[in-house]
Amino acid sequence: MAAFTYAPAIVLLPFVSFLVALFAGDRMPKGGALAGITATGGSLLLSIWVALTVAGGGYHNEFIYTWVAGVESVTLRFGLLLDPLSALMLLIVTLISFLVHIFSLGYMNDEGETGLPRYYAGLGLFTASMLGFVVANNLLMAFMFFELVGLCSYLLIGFWFREDGPPSAAKKAFLVTRFGDYFFLVGVVGIFATFGTGLFAPVTQNGEVVAQSFPVLAEHAVVDGETGPIAMLDTVGLGAQAWFTVLGLLVLGGVIGKSAQFPLHTWLPDAMEGPTPVSALIHAATMVAAGVYLVARMYGFYAISPTALAVIALVGGFTALFAATMGLVKQEIKQVLAYSTISQYGYMMLALGSGGYIAAVFHLTTHAVFKALLFLGAGSVIIAMHHNENMWDMGGLKDKMPVTYYTFLSGSLALAGILPFAGFWSKDEVLYEALIHGLGSEGGLATAYVLAYAMGLLAVFFTGFYTFRMVFLTFHGDARSDTARDPHGVRWNVKGPLAVLGVLAATVGFINMKPVAELTGAHIDFLHAWLAGPDEGGWPAALVTSSHHYEELLHNVAGVAAGEPLGATGTLLASAAVSLGLALAGAGAATMLYRGPDPVEHTDKLGGLKTLLMHNYYQDEYQVWLATGLTHPLARAMDKFDQGVVDGVVNGISSVSLFGGSRIRRIQSGVVNNYAALLTLGLVLLLAAFGLAGGWF
Amino acid sequence: MIPAELYLLLSAALFCIGLFGILTRRNALVFLMSVELMLNAANINFVAFSLQHGNLTGQVFALFGMALAAAEVAIGIGIILVLYRNFSDVDVTKATTMRW
Amino acid sequence: MWVAALLAVTLLGSAAVMLSPDRYAGKLAAAISAVPALASVYMYYVFLTQNGGAGNALLSPGEVAFGQQIPWIDLAGYQISYYVGLDGVSMPLLALTTILTTLAIVSAWTPIDERQSQFYGLMLFMETSLVGVFAALDFFLWFVFWEGVLIPMYFLIGVWGGPRRKYAAIKFFIYTNVASLIMFAGLFALVFNTDLTSLALPAMAEAFRNASGLPTIAGFSLATISFVLMFFGFAVKVPVFPLHTWLPDAHVEAPTPVSVMLAGVLLKMGTYALLRFNFTMLAETAQALAIPLAIVGVVSVIYGAMLALAQRDLKRIVAYSSISSMGYVILGLVAFTPHGMGGATFQMVAHGLISGLMFMTVGVIYNTTHTRMVGDMSGLADRMPWTVGIFVAAAFGYMGLPLMAGFAGEFLIFQGAFDAATLGSAAPVLTSAAMFGIVVVAGYLLWAMQRTLFGGFSLETDYEVGPAAFHDVAPLAVLLLLVIVLGVAPDLSYDMIQHAITPLTGGGA
Repeated sequence: MAAFTYAPAIVLLPFVSFLVALFAGDRMPKGGALAGITATGGSLLLSIWVALTVAGGGYHNEFIYTWVAGVESVTLRFGLLLDPLSALMLLIVTLISFLVHIFSLGYMNDEGETGLPRYYAGLGLFTASMLGFVVANNLLMAFMFFELVGLCSYLLIGFWFREDGPPSAAKKAFLVTRFGDYFFLVGVVGIFATFGTGLFAPVTQNGEVVAQSFPVLAEHAVVDGETGPIAMLDTVGLGAQAWFTVLGLLVLGGVIGKSAQFPLHTWLPDAMEGPTPVSALIHAATMVAAGVYLVARMYGFYAISPTALAVIALVGGFTALFAATMGLVKQEIKQVLAYSTISQYGYMMLALGSGGYIAAVFHLTTHAVFKALLFLGAGSVIIAMHHNENMWDMGGLKDKMPVTYYTFLSGSLALAGILPFAGFWSKDEVLYEALIHGLGSEGGLATAYVLAYAMGLLAVFFTGFYTFRMVFLTFHGDARSDTARDPHGVRWNVKGPLAVLGVLAATVGFINMKPVAELTGAHIDFLHAWLAGPDEGGWPAALVTSSHHYEELLHNVAGVAAGEPLGATGTLLASAAVSLGLALAGAGAATMLYRGPDPVEHTDKLGGLKTLLMHNYYQDEYQVWLATGLTHPLARAMDKFDQGVVDGVVNGISSVSLFGGSRIRRIQSGVVNNYAALLTLGLVLLLAAFGLAGGWF
Repeated sequence: MIPAELYLLLSAALFCIGLFGILTRRNALVFLMSVELMLNAANINFVAFSLQHGNLTGQVFALFGMALAAAEVAIGIGIILVLYRNFSDVDVTKATTMRW
Repeated sequence: MWVAALLAVTLLGSAAVMLSPDRYAGKLAAAISAVPALASVYMYYVFLTQNGGAGNALLSPGEVAFGQQIPWIDLAGYQISYYVGLDGVSMPLLALTTILTTLAIVSAWTPIDERQSQFYGLMLFMETSLVGVFAALDFFLWFVFWEGVLIPMYFLIGVWGGPRRKYAAIKFFIYTNVASLIMFAGLFALVFNTDLTSLALPAMAEAFRNASGLPTIAGFSLATISFVLMFFGFAVKVPVFPLHTWLPDAHVEAPTPVSVMLAGVLLKMGTYALLRFNFTMLAETAQALAIPLAIVGVVSVIYGAMLALAQRDLKRIVAYSSISSMGYVILGLVAFTPHGMGGATFQMVAHGLISGLMFMTVGVIYNTTHTRMVGDMSGLADRMPWTVGIFVAAAFGYMGLPLMAGFAGEFLIFQGAFDAATLGSAAPVLTSAAMFGIVVVAGYLLWAMQRTLFGGFSLETDYEVGPAAFHDVAPLAVLLLLVIVLGVAPDLSYDMIQHAITPLTGGGA
């Protein structure tokens, strides 16, 4: 498999572009952009090659580097895992990154920004880190690149460091995700301690398993009761499934941080302070996607824990609805997109939690395309508006920038979930999975799924509404400011990526038209086939990352079952009809309200509710309070304690010594008679002591 | 032969007189004389025990003691002269510069 | 012979620099200290390629590298000798010492402008003592070097320090000296109760590990009492809560190059001695006391980090965070697992490099701004981009960013401690609690960076603030490179560390 031999270059090329841009960027034309474009372009081509090889039944899971060779202890290694999931993700990341690099020529270079080498170095490192995360074959390597992704987001969100906002936003992004990563790290350490390995999938040689993976070991422990080798269970005193649930939820902490799920979503809207192409990269393909990808990557581990699944589904469903409501009232175009990102990742979590592994990956794919498109479109608008992002200053841009308008519209239709754009197919499948598993499972799991489904469904309406509110305010009606009347033009380097993504946003959903497949009986649900792997042979028998295996686990271990009250086809169509109907209703409502030449802010009628939404349910306030109102005063109090009590004791000891000395030295009176008297007294006391001790008396 | 106790009583009396002088007198010359008394009390002890044990070492020590006393007086008088030169007095309680 | 040569070069070099005129002292000292630095790199290379599998110097003294033993004094029935040698634990620390000294001397060129020959002479003298501490295998010899470090440090803080230098220097000296006394008492209580005839560390290790029939005092075995006394003595140097208060004062008052040595190497003397004495010679007692010791470590981690959060002085922030980082080392040591103790040793090296880098960077900024207070300045990234870039990299290294040395150390410690048999079912809880330090450390460093480095430039000066000189930035770059190299390939050090550590742990996770 020649493609796999060159696979490390997918990661290394952007890394080289990072080094080149950082150290030689200011001596290169375009400030290092060309290096980045070349590198990501090369990575894209290699990724296509890898994907083709995987499509031909190829599979690769090898160690490439020993980070720490354990002597009588766990050996920590880096390795590549190339299977359908990672191959798909490689395609997404390299494609989006490539387009973002090109777009940056228009957004950064043409706008005369300074510090371009730093910018392109950051982009290169960001891409490399994400690609390293995607191909990682074990949890430790994944964690390490996960953290590097966090670093890059810090560097890029804070790119305009001379202003006050971006450094603060960068700090917040890193800190909030770091809080999640704390739990992730505990989870990683716990998994290594429990299983002695962090492999996602077993490493095989000639069909023999040479290194087992932790999801498989966990499965053996839960399904077959092979808990003997797992000494950790005795240490913590929990049953296998309960402890694995704890570990899974710990790892989920990192996911919630990076994928901006409630309650750690607060960093993401602030991260809009970064350059818009960076936002596109963060939201569509790298940082935020990393969280969801991680759950998909180790899905075999979650699939054996119904509790973890229920938590994921509920967090996802709630976040989807919660973020969508906040998106309703935002005034800046990037803010609306930010909340839509949070909401859409909520859908992916909902899908993963409710047993829709394929649906989640599907939505991850389509979302990557249309969200990158929307952000780049917003970037184009922002260039045109001279970096004014307020939608109430826009309007009427439709005729002045048609390429941007039509591609943006394509992305918006996809986001809203309107047939036949990409978002419809994926979102519909997400909701469908949640629905049938909610109806078919039993007990608390069913309740959680139904609740999560209800929230997800309601969010569809809001999504349609805020999406079209954004479209109408930005592009339709009359221009509401001077810059909107005479916008700045954009060049090919902006229009090109938009066009590519615009076409993809309309069509990428066709890779998995499950309803159509169901109706016609044609095998056109390609993604299902892709993630399930070849039917026979091809893959090593040990491969446990296929969707078939996950379905078995979900059904047999977690008790996730499908219930179809209207029959298979009927339920599918009903679900699709409901979600499409709600999306159309939301879009229609927005059209009604904001269509005119001079729209007014209808959401003002919400009164106090609007204030609540504008303040994001006061989520930021309480988190800032936790940091500055609680932790910082506590630290100050501890500082007082340290200086007063701990150091006080130290200084106290020296003070006592000094004081004692100052008193005792007074016997040095300088009068010889006193010395003689003391001498005599001492002698007498000594004699008396000797006498008493010696029994002279 | 006179018993050793009597010598010891004599020496103890002499020593106590010297000690009394040191503790109560303020004149440096009296001080010096008191020290001489105490030294000689020790000498008497040496000689007395020498006689008691029939061993000459004690007498040798007494000779050393006398030589020491002479040297001490020489230095002592020197100190007293300096004392007088600096404080115009030989009162030991006046010279308290060597204090805390 | 190699170690003797290192000692001789630095000691003679120290004398030569003291006698040289101020103008040349800095350059001369740098040139002289480059000799042991290069020599130790060569020794490291030789060790790596030939002695990689050498065991623990105390448990299998036959396997030490660069060993040399010459009988010296026969004191009251105890044979004392000049006895040196290196194993996988001391080799990296020795290299750290020599390299960091050279870099610290170069970084002193800008800030030190009076009594230069004395300053550099004392720096070299300190290097002699530090090399001796890590290489000595005889207690008497070791103790001479151990105390010998205090003398130059006292003068370096007391003469070239900040406004409260005398207070800080005296506090440092007395605190650590009293601690040495207590340690000494604890150790010799044991020496006198075993039939030792030599004060060589391997002989002591053998005698203490096999000691039986030790007296008990007030219900405690002498081993326990000695362990506690020695732990107290060494813990002051580490330092752990609540014995840490000399450290922030010493750091704040010390000139930058001295802070670099203090944080980079001196603190490691404490953990190195803990590893050599408490955790090797009294391993059984250490395992019995594992949980209270681990709690001390965890409290240090969180307490140091929380205090760092409350500081405004950049140097004080780094000083308190050192307490936090060294707390991890304690946690790793008590785990008695290969990754726990090995990670702890690796963390000593990693923290030495990273904290040295942090202090040096703060120093470079201070040379330019003449203030270290967060809030007095902002937007420095605008004026000194490379320095600030390195500051950011160093700060992320401190936060435990993967592929930098700090992460390797911390992760290995966590990995080793999480299922440590010595800690039982408390292990996951204590380890998780200690890990929370990584969140707090990110909090205060990010906050400090945002306030000082970013935003619009502002600083009240009557001169133009510009980039730092090349010889100021070059040591930073070298250190950063080392941090990254060790983060990407920890096995460069970790392999030899593990070979020296595993005889102590006897296998396990």
